[in-house]
Parts: sequence; structure tokens; C-alpha cells
Amino acid sequence: MVPAEYYLLLSAAMFCIGLFGILTRRNALLFLMSVELMLNAASINFVAFSLQWGNLTGQVFTLFLMALAAAEVAIGIGIILVLYRNFADIDVTKPTTMRW
Amino acid sequence: MVSAFEFVPAIAVLPLVSFVVALAFGKWMPKKGALAGIFATAGSLLLSIWTVLTVAGILGSETAYHEEIWQFATGIGTFDLHLGVFVDPLSSLMLLIVSLISLLVFVFSLGYMNDENETGLPRYYASLSLFSFSMLAFVFADNILMAFMFFELVGLCSFLLIGFWFREDAPPSAAKKAFLVTRFGDFFFLIGVVGIFATFGTGLFVTEAGFPAMAEQAISGEMPGTVADFLEPLGMGAQGWFTILGLLVLGGVVGKSAQFPLHTWLPDAMEGPTPVSALIHAATMVAAGVYLVARMYGFYLLTPTTMGIIALIGGFTALFAATMGVVKQELKQVLAYSTISQYGYMMLALGSGGYVAAVFHLTTHAVFKALLFLGAGSVIIAMHHNENMWDMGGLKEKMPVTYWTFLSGSLALAGIFPFAGFWSKDEVLYEALIHGLGDPVILVAWAMGLLAVFLTGFYTFRMVFLTFHGEPRTDDAEDPHGVRWNVKLPLGVLGVLAATLGFINMVPVAKLTGAHIDFLHKWLVGSEIVNAEFLTGLHVYEDLLPYESAYIAGGEVPTLLISAALSLGLALAGVGLAYRLYAVPEPVEHTKKLGGLRTLLMHNYYQDEYQVWLAEGVTLPLARVADTFDQGIIDGVVNGISSVSLFSGDRIRRIQTGVVSNYAALLTIGLALLLIAFGIVGGWF
Repeated sequence: MVPAEYYLLLSAAMFCIGLFGILTRRNALLFLMSVELMLNAASINFVAFSLQWGNLTGQVFTLFLMALAAAEVAIGIGIILVLYRNFADIDVTKPTTMRW
Repeated sequence: MVSAFEFVPAIAVLPLVSFVVALAFGKWMPKKGALAGIFATAGSLLLSIWTVLTVAGILGSETAYHEEIWQFATGIGTFDLHLGVFVDPLSSLMLLIVSLISLLVFVFSLGYMNDENETGLPRYYASLSLFSFSMLAFVFADNILMAFMFFELVGLCSFLLIGFWFREDAPPSAAKKAFLVTRFGDFFFLIGVVGIFATFGTGLFVTEAGFPAMAEQAISGEMPGTVADFLEPLGMGAQGWFTILGLLVLGGVVGKSAQFPLHTWLPDAMEGPTPVSALIHAATMVAAGVYLVARMYGFYLLTPTTMGIIALIGGFTALFAATMGVVKQELKQVLAYSTISQYGYMMLALGSGGYVAAVFHLTTHAVFKALLFLGAGSVIIAMHHNENMWDMGGLKEKMPVTYWTFLSGSLALAGIFPFAGFWSKDEVLYEALIHGLGDPVILVAWAMGLLAVFLTGFYTFRMVFLTFHGEPRTDDAEDPHGVRWNVKLPLGVLGVLAATLGFINMVPVAKLTGAHIDFLHKWLVGSEIVNAEFLTGLHVYEDLLPYESAYIAGGEVPTLLISAALSLGLALAGVGLAYRLYAVPEPVEHTKKLGGLRTLLMHNYYQDEYQVWLAEGVTLPLARVADTFDQGIIDGVVNGISSVSLFSGDRIRRIQTGVVSNYAALLTIGLALLLIAFGIVGGWF
């Protein structure tokens, strides 16, 4: 059996890639993808520990996470559509009027 | 056998039911709610009669009743608040009067309101029922808080009824005035109620546990614990403090019973429908004040200062109002001032120790004043709602029933032998005289009351002659509008009573002949239990009386005769003067000869002007200063604090950039810092 450490390393790497994407990109679609990467990193953790301890709780959580991610993408894309309609662009640094 | 006492609460609840019925269903009922009121008050009257018979001891041995109905606030380690019923000779007599007058007023209203095609009748009958309910519940209240609550309800109902024709200008303003002026007095009453609860820990009128009994113990030396605990930090003697409490409660009495200086609302209250005036003046609103003093008489007797003040206010008001009645031109205005004057007599009687006399005058006055107002209402119907006496004249032949009953009421009001008013007024003055001979304050009050007898005779018969005698002075008086049975029936009942009610307490005859026919006196003495347990019998009060009786011309009987002759002579002189001046075919305004005095009287001694000045010239500037303080200082502090937070909020919000990447970066930095902090604390490095 592959030890849990490897999975954790994979998960940490994915999380960091996602984080890097969010911090450096300005395209909203890339933002969305990066968030997905970070979510999946969390899923991998769940599954890894599920395997480690031999119970199913983590796997069940992962199923929920998948549903959540799907919903999140639907809403995210909706927001991006509205963004495009209003600003003719999907650059996240452009819309700064929704503060005070 | 069931006892009447178990049904006493129903005496008040029946009109309450009719209030609800008239309000909810009056629109669809045949007489717009009048029938509900008539049945309810008739039921109350029957129950009251039963109660009176029971109190008289005819129906059993139980002759007084005290029961707590509902405790609505339970104190932990302190006093409780409750509604309760107390029935003794005084309250049962008053229940009878109130329910009788209410019933007759309801019947009369059929003629005055329904037959005249008034609108808004369900509202009228509902208010009238609520009025009866409040007064009846006030009468059997066993504690001062309950009395206060129903006292206020009575005030509310008078507001509703005086302002019944609210689309005109004058009635709403009169209603407001009545409400505000009586409320001014009630304010002191409320403080008095709080003071009584604070001092005695109870508001009960009766029994050893009631506050009059506790006050008596406190003054006679055996101070009850609660009273001592209260008075010690106050640093006041019992006598002084009880005087203050008595005067505070008296504030409410002065307002409701229209005594000087809070009498100004009553003449204006004539704007209401006439049957309402009858109810207000005879049995409910105005009577409530005097009744309250009689109810807690055991408390007032303890403080001679308060008694003196009551007598002085009463005597002064009797004279003061009578002078104003002399010059008035409207029928109801004359009656309004006569009411103030007559309640002055009752206060005079109470203040000078004439408990029986006061209750007697309250009883007879209720009957004859209701009669006079209903008679005036009948005249007003006939005159197509013109109230000016100078437009009347010669109504005697046109409306004989109204004339003869009105005459009976007028003779009673003027105090002519042998009508009801003679006996009661004579007793009032007699009591004031025998107690006044040893006490100059009472004697002054007596003198004013005596002088008012002459004026009463004069203005009463000026009114009668102007209205009913001589030649008709207008077309309306020539051809008056007829009235029906529903007007004549109440007039007839009251007319007979006004002529005969005095026989219940013929003290002079009793004293002369030795026959025991002073029934009211015996009634108020009450049974054994009333004197021994409930402490509201006459024997209790006689023991507490702070005055000595003194007699002139060598004894009780000559004094009695002199007093009776004096008051009857003065009353007859007044009537005679009125007869000479006004019982002519074409009377003229003789009062015009009074010149400047007449102007003063027509303006009611400028009492209204001076009270308006008090409100506008004194209170308003004071209120403005208070308002400036409130707006400037109090609100200024609050506004200052809020503007500081507004300003700082405006500056701090600038750290929000609105760029998502910045927020994400800040989140990441935060997470990183957190991890480092955990690492350092957890010793990872």
C-alpha cells in the first residue's frame, strides 16, 4: 500500500498550484479552475485518510465535495457571464465598484 | 338559598356585556343598541335592589360582603394587587342610584337620540354602557387602586360621550378639556395611590387590614410595622404625612367632582348629548369624586386639616358656582353651575363631619339633577335644539308633563319644603353649623354655603320662569315639537322621587317628634358586622370625628329649627325675587343692571382665561426651556457620539479596494502567518 505521505504531498502540491493560480492570474475562468484544483486537493486528503484508517467517512465527504464543486462551478460561471455582460471583459481586477 | 352578594359583580358586568353587544352588533339591532343597554341596566337595577334588601338584613343575616375576585399581580415579599368587591350600606345605596339613573337615561335616550334620527347610535349606546359599567365597578371597588382604575375609565367614557358629535367644533374641544382638566387632578390622585401603597403596603378600604384602620392605629400611637418603616427615613409625623396623602387623593376628587379650581371642564361638558349630561352630573362622573371621599372617610377623619380644606373648598365652590349660575342664558349652563354648586354642598358636608348629610344630598341630588337634565332635554327637543332661555317662555301649557316634573326637580334643587333637596341641604347646613360653632374654618364654609342657598333659589326659579312661564318669545316656543312616552316616563319616575325622596331622612321631624324616621341615618349606621369588622359603619366614623358639636339658643332642637328656618327662608327669598323679576309675561334681562359684575360672571371670573394663561404663559415657556435642554444637551451628546463613529467608519472603509486578487493575497498571507504562529507555538522548528 502506498503510504499516506505521498498522497499528502500530491494534495499539497495541487493546493499550491491552485493558490498560485489565484494569486497571479486575472482571468476569472482561470480563477475558477484554480479553486477547483484546491478543492480537489482537499478531496485527495479525505480519500487518503479514508484509506489510511480503513473507514468510509472520508470517501462519503468526497462525494459531497464533488456535488458542492459542481454547484460552485454553475454559480461561478453564472457570475462570470454577468461580469462579461457588464464589463465586456472577465478581468477580475476591473470590477471594483462593489465595495462602498 | 343563593345570596345576592354572589351576583354583585354581575351588576357591573351586565353593562359591560351590553357595551360589547352594542359595539359589535348595534348596527343591525332594532334600536341601534339601546335595547341591550336597557336590558342590561334593568338587570343591574334588579340585582342592586336585591343587594340593598340583603344589606338591609331582610333576606338573611349576612349584611355586608367583601371578596377578592382576581389577583392580577402577586408580590413576592411585598403587597399584592387585586380586584375585589365590597358591599356595605354606602356602596349598595350607590349601586342602586347609579343603576336606576342609568336605566332611565337609556330610556330617555330613545326619545332624545333615536327619535331625532341621530347617527352613530351604536357608538353612543356602547359608550353609555361602558360608562355605567365603569361607575358601578368603581362603586363596589374594595381597594384604592381598583377605584383609581375605574375612576380613569369613567373619565375616558365622559371624553367619548362629551365629544359624541365630533364633527362639530365645540364638542371635541370640550371633551378634550374635560379629559385634560380631570386628568390634571387624577395625576395627584395617582401619586396619592402610590403613596398609600408605599406607606401601608395595602390599598384596601375596609377591615383591620385596610389603610384607614392602619392609619388610625398609627395616629393613636400603636404604629404598625410597615407604616413605621416608611415614616422613619421620611422624618415626618404620621399626622403630617397622612394629611399630604389625603390632599393628593383629594386632587382627583376636586377634578372629578368639579370643585374649585378644577371646575372649568363641567360647564363646557354641556356640549355632549343631554342624556349624557344627566348621567355625568347625577350619578356617574361627578358623583365619583364625592363618593371616593365618603368611601375612605375613615382616613380623612384622622386629619382635621384635610377636613377643613374639604369643607372650605366645598363651601366656596357652592357659593362661587351659584353666582355664575345667576347670569347664564342657556338652560343647560344654569344646570351645570347648579351641579358644581350642589357638589360643593356635599364636600362641605363631608368636610364638616356630616357623613350622612353628604350621602343624603348625593342621593337626592342624583335624582333631582337627573330629572332637571332630562327635563331640559325634553325642552331642548321641543325647542328644536335651541337652548337659550330667552327664546323660550310659555312652555307650561304646551308640555305639562315636562313642566310639572321640572317644577318638582326645581323645588328640590332650590330646597323648598317638603321636596327632597330641602331635607338634604338642610341637614348639610345643620351639620356644618353645629360643628362650625367650635371651628371658625367650618363656620366660614357654612356661611358661604348658606349664602349660596339664596342664589340657588334665585337662579333655579329664574330658569323655571324664563323657560315655562310668560308669553312664548319665539316661533319655536309657540309651536314646540312633541315628546313621546320614552321621554315622559323617566321624567315621571324621577319627578315623583324628587318630591318624596327626602322622606327617607327627615331629621328635623325625627328630632322634634322623637319618631325614628331618619331611615338613611339608620341605614348608614349599618349592622354589627359593618361597624366591627369592616369599619365603615357610622359608629366608627362618629368615634373618629375631630369636631365637637355646639348648639345655639340652648340645645339641639332650637338650633335645628333655626338652621332649617334660615335655609328655607333664604331659599324662599331667592324664589320670591325670581318670581318678582321674571314671572311676568315679558321678562327683561334684569341681570344687565349688575354692570361690570355681570361681565365678570358671564366670563366665569375669567377662570378659563387664567387657566389658559397658566398653560400658555407659564407652562409653555417652561416646556420650551426643557425642550431646548433636551434637544441641545441630551440629544447633543447622543448625536456627538454617533458622529464620531460615522467619521471613523468613513475613514476606515478606505482599506477596501474591491480587487479580488488583493483579498485572495491577504487571505493567503493570513493563512501563512497563522501556520507560522502555530509552528512557533507548537515547537515545529
